[in-house]
Amino acid sequence: MTNSINNLELVKELVSKTTTILKEENIDVQQLAFEVNTCDIHHVLSVLKSAGWKQLSYLSAVDWPDENKFEVVYILFNWDKPVYVQIRTKIDRENPSIDSILPIFPGAKYYEREAHEFFGIAFPGNPDYEKQLILEGWDDIPPLRKDFDPSAYSDRKFPSREYPQDYSVTDEKNHSLEKRAERKARAERLRTGGKKQ
Amino acid sequence: MEEKKKYPKPSIFKPLRHLKYLFRKPVSHPLDTIFTEKNAEYLNKNNPFRKNKIKNSVPRTAPDNIRGFHVNDWEKCIGCGTCGEICPTAAIEMVPRHDLPRVAGELQQRPVIDYGRCCFCALCVDTCTTGSLSMTKEYVFADSNPDSFKLMPTETWQDQEVELGYQKTEVTDLLDLKRVEMEHIEPEERIKSYIEVVRGYSKEFAKQEAARCVECGVCTASCPVQMHIPQYIKAIWEDDIEGGLKQIYETNPLPGVCGRVCTHNCETSCAIAQRGEAIAIRWLKRYIIDSAPDEMYEKIFNEPVSEVIEAKVAIAGSGPASLSTAYYLRGLGYHVDVFEEKNRPGGVMSYGAPQYRIPDYAVEKDINFIKKIGVNIHTNTRVGTDITLEELEKKYDAVFLGTGFFAARKLNIPGSDHPDVMGAMDFLPITRDFARGAIKLDEINVKKSVVVVGGGDVAFDVARNCIRIQLEKYGKADVKLTSLETLDILPGSDDEYIEGKEEGIQFFLGNGPQEIVVKNGKIKGLRVWKCTRVFDEEGRFNPTFDSEQETLLEGEQVFFSVGQAPDYTFIPESLKDKVTIERGKVKANKDGQVEGLDWLFVGGDIFRGPDIITAVSDGHRAAVAIDDYLYTNAKKKEQSEYVKEIREAIRFNNPDLALKPTRKRTLN
Repeated sequence: MTNSINNLELVKELVSKTTTILKEENIDVQQLAFEVNTCDIHHVLSVLKSAGWKQLSYLSAVDWPDENKFEVVYILFNWDKPVYVQIRTKIDRENPSIDSILPIFPGAKYYEREAHEFFGIAFPGNPDYEKQLILEGWDDIPPLRKDFDPSAYSDRKFPSREYPQDYSVTDEKNHSLEKRAERKARAERLRTGGKKQ
Repeated sequence: MEEKKKYPKPSIFKPLRHLKYLFRKPVSHPLDTIFTEKNAEYLNKNNPFRKNKIKNSVPRTAPDNIRGFHVNDWEKCIGCGTCGEICPTAAIEMVPRHDLPRVAGELQQRPVIDYGRCCFCALCVDTCTTGSLSMTKEYVFADSNPDSFKLMPTETWQDQEVELGYQKTEVTDLLDLKRVEMEHIEPEERIKSYIEVVRGYSKEFAKQEAARCVECGVCTASCPVQMHIPQYIKAIWEDDIEGGLKQIYETNPLPGVCGRVCTHNCETSCAIAQRGEAIAIRWLKRYIIDSAPDEMYEKIFNEPVSEVIEAKVAIAGSGPASLSTAYYLRGLGYHVDVFEEKNRPGGVMSYGAPQYRIPDYAVEKDINFIKKIGVNIHTNTRVGTDITLEELEKKYDAVFLGTGFFAARKLNIPGSDHPDVMGAMDFLPITRDFARGAIKLDEINVKKSVVVVGGGDVAFDVARNCIRIQLEKYGKADVKLTSLETLDILPGSDDEYIEGKEEGIQFFLGNGPQEIVVKNGKIKGLRVWKCTRVFDEEGRFNPTFDSEQETLLEGEQVFFSVGQAPDYTFIPESLKDKVTIERGKVKANKDGQVEGLDWLFVGGDIFRGPDIITAVSDGHRAAVAIDDYLYTNAKKKEQSEYVKEIREAIRFNNPDLALKPTRKRTLN
């Protein structure tokens, strides 16, 4: 086993020779990430696989609604040179689609189904990508999209329960909590916009 | 995480450590021993096959950080509601508990958890401001009635003491307990001039500080004017200065001043201060004011405020209480005339607190807006001499007095009649004029070595002013400060003590002055005795001294900062018997209306005291009370919808009396 610092250098050299790196991130001594163009994904993954990164540890996505993009992330691992390599690429959020990597990593079959289910990304080339995996009978937008509203979903799907217990102790003359709520509502009406964080 | 912890060094012997489990007792819990008394009782009654066979087990064995049912220590819980706010399953509801005492920094409500929704994620525990909420090792709760799954956590689980499971650690704590550091001018640098000590937050730092706020709002009830604190902090985080400015001006017409010198009871009662450093509320307010350009002030009112009510109000004095009254009365639609004896308005803001704490431009920014909305300020006009109170009574429909405590008090001890003995309020106005260049250095009587008597903020103002003047005059400073109170009960704020110490004040705390030693007409020093107690058993001010422990604090000059006094010489003979003065303060109802003289209102130091923000609240209440007094009988012009709206807002925001938080001393 070689020294992990050298392994990092090796991966960097390998990836930079293969493709244009849009962004590079040194996560720690055993993890590296590269953002590449979508069209280069298959090429980079094949090169890494032949260089020893034989294991596809995970494939998933990140939703960036502000940029209107999904970021697809492939995580590879090499059992001889212990470095995790993340290959990331951004694809359009409208009708998201990226060619399947089944020919390179057959194990991606289930990961792609999962990514389709949770983000709605299409993986042409994977015959089963539309098949349900976990969320049977899902009837809403894919749940890991940032615009999915879990509480609205649960309100719609599940009845809310009114409990008979009342733990409150109230004094009719005490309106301090109501007054606070009123003051808060008033103050919030005075806002003139600003970027919601 | 540290790299080493994340990737421990591999070793061929590592697998061997598992051998130790050969000698350990296996962790397994037989089903019939995992119940609490209540569960066991229930099952023993209801399970036909194993009737009376189920045992209870207290304490239950389980992993140490298991996330079981919650317990909430009501002694610690302040009802801030942050747990309910974070709950991803909306399982936590805050219910009113008016049986709890209404105290500063707490809300009369407690969390109730719906265990039909709870997912035991423990975010509520990790975000709890006080650390009152934790989880137990209890994870079994059986009941055939689904309605019984809503529970209010208390110190016990099902009335039983149980072992704690998951509790937050430093790593899992979601709150940021450390304040974003504020830049101060270095002591060596700042004592050379009257430059403002606190630099103020930049946008980035202000946003970072704002991000620490959990928006619980336990602070607002401690603020004498109940500012919309969480809302304007949120406005900073979302970068909406204009919205924040509007929110601030709803309840405080002197925010630039209060953003610098407020006593900030809000910070004392801040939920984050339960375990960490309070949100820098005062400095965040200052950030909004400092970053609001002049044009933005036009937007505080959508339309110019105007005289829609034909009634005139005169205001004596132009300190915080007076200006606040003037601002709100003007907003309500009255004609307002303010009379100030000095040549600048602002009272204590312009002639009391020193320039390095509150520079003129900040005072002017606040006052300019008050002038801009149409308040007439007549400077160099003393009520009582230039215009009498009787004249005001005749010419105006109501009169507000906010004349403050501007006279110096001295201790009556031998030697205190020496010309080099000065009272704080005789000295501070001179230093303010000196700082703005209106008085020359030689005209100020500050000797090479001085002794300041007093432990309040004003004593620090005197001492720190002396250091600056001595340095300029003699190139060297020698200031001793002595007070009855020792550091643990020192009335002055922590900031003053820290900054004063940095600037070179020599402290002789816990001493009572006995005599100013004068030899050949010159002061030699102050003789003090050790103070053995300041307050008696009943909490009254009643100091005792130990004459055996005597010290002579050498100095050529003595300053007394032992409180300020009012000056009521402007009240004419005709009114003297109708105004009751108790312990220096004018007796009036809650809103400051003097009993028997319905047209006369008071506020600020001469009524309630003791600080600027309380004076502002007095002004607001008085303005609304004056409106109540005048509105029905006054002639009114037609009011636009917007004017009605402002009037409504001012009346709606009329502050309640604040709850006073107990101050926690951090210095020792």
